[in-house]
Amino acid sequence: MGLAWWTRSSHYFWYTVREFTALPMALWLLWFLVEIQRAQGGAKGYYPHSSTGFVIFSVIVLLFSLYHSVTFLSLAGVILHFRVLDRPIPSRLIVMSQFGAWLVASAVIAFVLVYFGR
Amino acid sequence: MSEHAHSSLAREAGEGQGEGHRRPSFVHLAYWFLFAQGGVIAAVLIPAHVLVQGILGPLKIVPVVDQHYDTWINILGNPIVKLYLLVLIAFPFFHFAHRLRYLLVDLGVPAAKSVPAQVIFYGGAVAVTLFTIWLLLTTAPISLG
Repeated sequence: MGLAWWTRSSHYFWYTVREFTALPMALWLLWFLVEIQRAQGGAKGYYPHSSTGFVIFSVIVLLFSLYHSVTFLSLAGVILHFRVLDRPIPSRLIVMSQFGAWLVASAVIAFVLVYFGR
Repeated sequence: MSEHAHSSLAREAGEGQGEGHRRPSFVHLAYWFLFAQGGVIAAVLIPAHVLVQGILGPLKIVPVVDQHYDTWINILGNPIVKLYLLVLIAFPFFHFAHRLRYLLVDLGVPAAKSVPAQVIFYGGAVAVTLFTIWLLLTTAPISLG
């Protein structure tokens, strides 16, 4: 099988994209570490990421991270199995609960980041 | 999570080798935990940080805590925030390390299966974890205020 096997079918392509999502997210987190490290320099030495290039990079990372979230949380219904009163909980309900947790966590994170930024 | 990763971990743990119910080693269990939790944390937490801190803050659409030194250093001093940031950054790197190593294997780089490659990828995740701990402990004094 050649190196381009992943371009021969949409299934293979999206599988490879899913695995690749790790790289942009890792780079963004490393960038985040740089921003924490910049705070060591005091008020005069601190400057946040705010360039156009960083925003474009973040938009690209956001798309990959959303794809990771959707594919990873969708698998929860396959992996997690719960029984209540001896009856299995439908996998669709488990997946919905995962997406609900994602929504709530995102709202809390956004609130904290904005509230303490005022 | 990746079926590939799941199957490889299961294989490494001794499943399906005709050896009965051999118990997986503690190392495999620990790594499986780090891989799975890293995937969940990346899925649930990272998009909001990228959207708010990577896009909305720099574009000045909303005030964001890391856009000014005073607010950033204040929140970085909170021990709960330090612990949260460690979880946010460290766990996903164990997930990323496994995914990227197997992506290279899938793309035809057999060397990614080797022990040196494992040391580089998983050692890299450990290095990021240790660096994050050091950074969080030395950046802002711990304060509950």
